[in-house]
Amino acid sequence: MPDPEKRFAEEWRDAAYNCFSSGHKFCREVCPVMQVTGNESWSPTAFHANVVAMEQGSLEVADVAADYVNCTGCGACELRCPNSLFTGDFYRFRTRTVDLVKGVRSLAVRQEVHQPAWRRWNELTAERTHEPVADGVSQERVRDWAQGLDLTVGGETILFVDCEAAFYRPSVPRSVACVLGLAGYGFGLMNEQWCCGGPAAEMGYEEQARRFAEHNLADWRASGVRRVLVLDPHDYITFTEDYPKYFGEAFDIEVVLVVELLAALIREGRLAPHVPVERTVTYHDPCRLNKRKGIWQEPREILRAIPGLTFHDVDRVSQWSYCSGAGGGLAVEKPELTAKISEMRMGKAAELGVDTLVTACPWAERPLTAAGEARSIGVVDLHELLAESLGVAP
Amino acid sequence: MSYRYRDEMTPPPPERASEVAVTRFEHVYEVDPALMTEHVTQQTFPNWDTLRLVRSRAGHLAWMHAHFADKVVSGEELLDDLDR
Repeated sequence: MPDPEKRFAEEWRDAAYNCFSSGHKFCREVCPVMQVTGNESWSPTAFHANVVAMEQGSLEVADVAADYVNCTGCGACELRCPNSLFTGDFYRFRTRTVDLVKGVRSLAVRQEVHQPAWRRWNELTAERTHEPVADGVSQERVRDWAQGLDLTVGGETILFVDCEAAFYRPSVPRSVACVLGLAGYGFGLMNEQWCCGGPAAEMGYEEQARRFAEHNLADWRASGVRRVLVLDPHDYITFTEDYPKYFGEAFDIEVVLVVELLAALIREGRLAPHVPVERTVTYHDPCRLNKRKGIWQEPREILRAIPGLTFHDVDRVSQWSYCSGAGGGLAVEKPELTAKISEMRMGKAAELGVDTLVTACPWAERPLTAAGEARSIGVVDLHELLAESLGVAP
Repeated sequence: MSYRYRDEMTPPPPERASEVAVTRFEHVYEVDPALMTEHVTQQTFPNWDTLRLVRSRAGHLAWMHAHFADKVVSGEELLDDLDR
């Protein structure tokens, strides 16, 4: 076995045997990939069992790297695993399938085992300093979404806008800017914003991810930034999990999720939604908020503050098994699988008789919108809906 | 509401709860870290993650009860049933 694999197997040995010897497999029920494929080689259990086999010298990463594409990084498996849910906090040792999948992907890339679409995606991201989410992506256009809003660059607090929202769904950050402006909450734009690096890390291109993170942190420091507002759940994960791993104690930036901030502003009376929005809606919990961060109350607080809405809620525990399929690079390498997962999710919404699915994740909105067309269910971003009810929709 | 590295990576000081357990958050028990140094070592655990698991567990148990429990049976009643 090559040395890198040996080291990797040693690092993940305890976790792998912990899973392999338990074998309760509750993870399969909530895994979105398992739900639409039933492929046991793509189960969280298999992802751990492979490490056991790797440790015993029975396989190399090249044998299984393609299997590890089939994960959205939603975190349902590791949360539902009894070794997390019932004993994780007691032992301070929990199941970490998302990190394991990222680790195997990184190990593969380091050994020149590439997935074709991921390789191309990250090459383009490196060239443009942003993900190639749409035509015309370039560093010069990253602040185009803010045209006419009279926002300054820099300052103690800045708004970081993910690639999908900045280039493909600019109405989302524009809505956020208008709502924060209405509340009198001051913020600026980043000086030279690059991709957060999170997607590269998820697809195994760790060196690139670190390079992007180093650029962004250096840019923040040079501009005197102390607080970063993020509207994208994926960015929130990157800034609160990846950056702390890269920089340790030196990561002294406060990270604020916009959804939590907006809920607080409503609570404080600084925002008062008053324009009725006559829609029958349900809410899609973004995986990275609900499952991976336990953030599910604030989006519902916002929805319940909007007059006119008929809200058919599905509780956050039921939604552990829901996913858009857009995360973890799956939509890049296997868009057909993402589409199946989104169709399954939209089917759940259709059962409620709603006309609108509200979510708070720009990355989920593209595949969910496509899935909603066949069922005449629209997809609306929570930030945009709030802006509409506040009378400041851009 | 916000994330700060230092806040998250500094757990409250432990209070001894038993010979083998400590507590840092109310009603949240942890195995004594001294017992986790040989076979399986503890992971880096930011405060938000501990609290996420605790709250998720409570949410999950409530969800299970709401979906699958028709009535509450005491342990004593179960033992009586076995004796009969």
